[in-house]
Amino acid sequence: MVLNNISANIEKRLRKWSIQGKFSLFIIMLYIIVAVFAPYISIYPHDISSAPPLIPPGGKHFMGTDELGYDLWSQIAYGARISLLIGSLTSILSVIIGSIIGSLSGYLGGWIDKLIMRLVDIMISIPELPLIILLATFLGPSLINIVIVLVIFSWTRTARIVRAQVMVLKNMNYVTSARTYGASAGYLLRVHFLKELFPVLAINAVRLVSKAIIAEASLSFLGLGDPTSKSWGLILNHALGFSGIYHTDFWKWWVVFPWLAISLLVISLAFITRDIEKLCDPNL
Amino acid sequence: MIIVNRFLEYLLTFIIIISLNFFLPRALPGDPLIQLTADTYDGVLKMTEEQRIYFRDYYNLNLPMHEQYFHYLRNLLRLDLGKSIIYNMPVAEIILKKLHWTSFLVLSSIFITTIFGSILGAISAYFRNRPLDRVIYTKMIVLSEIPAFILGLIFLFVFAARLKLFPLYGAYSYYHDHLNTFQHFKDIIHHAVLPVISLSMARIGSIYFLARNSVVSVMGKKYITTATAKGLTKQRIIVKHALRNAMLPVVTRVFLSIGALIGGTILVENVFAYPGLGMLMQEAVSTRDYPLIQGIFLIVTLLTLSANLIADLVYKKLDPRFS
Repeated sequence: MVLNNISANIEKRLRKWSIQGKFSLFIIMLYIIVAVFAPYISIYPHDISSAPPLIPPGGKHFMGTDELGYDLWSQIAYGARISLLIGSLTSILSVIIGSIIGSLSGYLGGWIDKLIMRLVDIMISIPELPLIILLATFLGPSLINIVIVLVIFSWTRTARIVRAQVMVLKNMNYVTSARTYGASAGYLLRVHFLKELFPVLAINAVRLVSKAIIAEASLSFLGLGDPTSKSWGLILNHALGFSGIYHTDFWKWWVVFPWLAISLLVISLAFITRDIEKLCDPNL
Repeated sequence: MIIVNRFLEYLLTFIIIISLNFFLPRALPGDPLIQLTADTYDGVLKMTEEQRIYFRDYYNLNLPMHEQYFHYLRNLLRLDLGKSIIYNMPVAEIILKKLHWTSFLVLSSIFITTIFGSILGAISAYFRNRPLDRVIYTKMIVLSEIPAFILGLIFLFVFAARLKLFPLYGAYSYYHDHLNTFQHFKDIIHHAVLPVISLSMARIGSIYFLARNSVVSVMGKKYITTATAKGLTKQRIIVKHALRNAMLPVVTRVFLSIGALIGGTILVENVFAYPGLGMLMQEAVSTRDYPLIQGIFLIVTLLTLSANLIADLVYKKLDPRFS
């Protein structure tokens, strides 16, 4: 009964999605499955040589191998783990931190608000990638450090959005009346604000996932990623560092597959964001 | 008054950046000296007494913190960004040698994205919700999500490596001495085509969406109805009446997006081995040339902040509500 209700609800929601949106949802599901079950579906180990180097796709190595004879498919599968992990972790942490700071700023107002907004202005005006590179160089490459650096940059936009919404909401009549009944700030946030804020936060969260995935790929591509975990960016970094890459056919699998993995993921996320936006805002 | 306020805000931002640049190597766990030695290729931890003294004096580490900071500020005022470890040359000098290549890429991409982005945006707005608009819109969503270096990679392998239409790397051919000025110019353009196209395609979406929205809102205005009633051609209405008035937010966005564009350029330069600041930064990172990394960071940030300041000024100049 309850299950029926839920599936009907999901069906109703999905009907409003565009074809691209549905297809993108499907793709994201595939990525998640590949990431979760990477050890089981990746036939060969991702960090031990299992074949001659640089064999083209075909047979059991259906994406070929790299210069050390590592199976490319298992590297892509494990890379999905890194990308999705960094993407979702960064997004969740930034949304939580951004929401807390943003609602404090909007709800309290006064000098705290001014201080926080000035800080956000400053953070937004600094060019991200150069500072991320600088921080990553000094902190040293590891997955945790990459997440920390990305979160430092990602909370600001959430904070701005949440602040604006809270400022509008806190003067609504029903909120004022709740407050006169003695509702605390925490209660207002939980009961009245979160529901209103949820769609905006959802869009923001998906955007941040995509942004973090791209940032991680960029850092690894520059050789600043975690060297112990092979992410897609690192595969590209190795491929481009290979001296014969331009004059051989190796790029057709060594560059193309990680390339596809990144592009397909970020494009799917973009279509999902657009559909959520449409669902939340009937004016668009 | 507002302008003075904004200016102060930028000054504050810049002071924060400078201080960050100063404190980062000193505040992080471990001495910069150990970082400098332990991260070399072979992992040898040894450093001769002579080298140790050199670096200690270089960073003035034997002085109290505030004196170190004043030293640092005084050097900055003299445009002294320190000395590169690898090149053994002043950082400012090295950056100056590479800066024009990066500026060339950035400016060309700005030029292309602004023109094509706003034209496509205007066309899309004019045919709003009709098939042409939908096709362009969807294409732009896809394009604007793919980062420039990822686009560049595939261009590099398809158009340069495979089809051999464009050179594989660099900003000009070696042994170019025999070329005359015109050939030299052509050679430079030829090398810049793929990097500039990758950057432009990745950035064009943001200009397009803004121009489209902006033109859509202008199209609802009464003077457009008047222009249509006068029987003017579509082209004339779009270009003369709609686009011109819709340009204000676009121009502001162009300046504001320079920071992101520079970020994209750093990566794209590494794809095409283009000898600008991005390549230099990657080189500095891989050799742990800290003074050089910090110098590049400082210059790039300064350029971005200046662009943001200009965006503010331009906005106030163009927007009648401010004057």
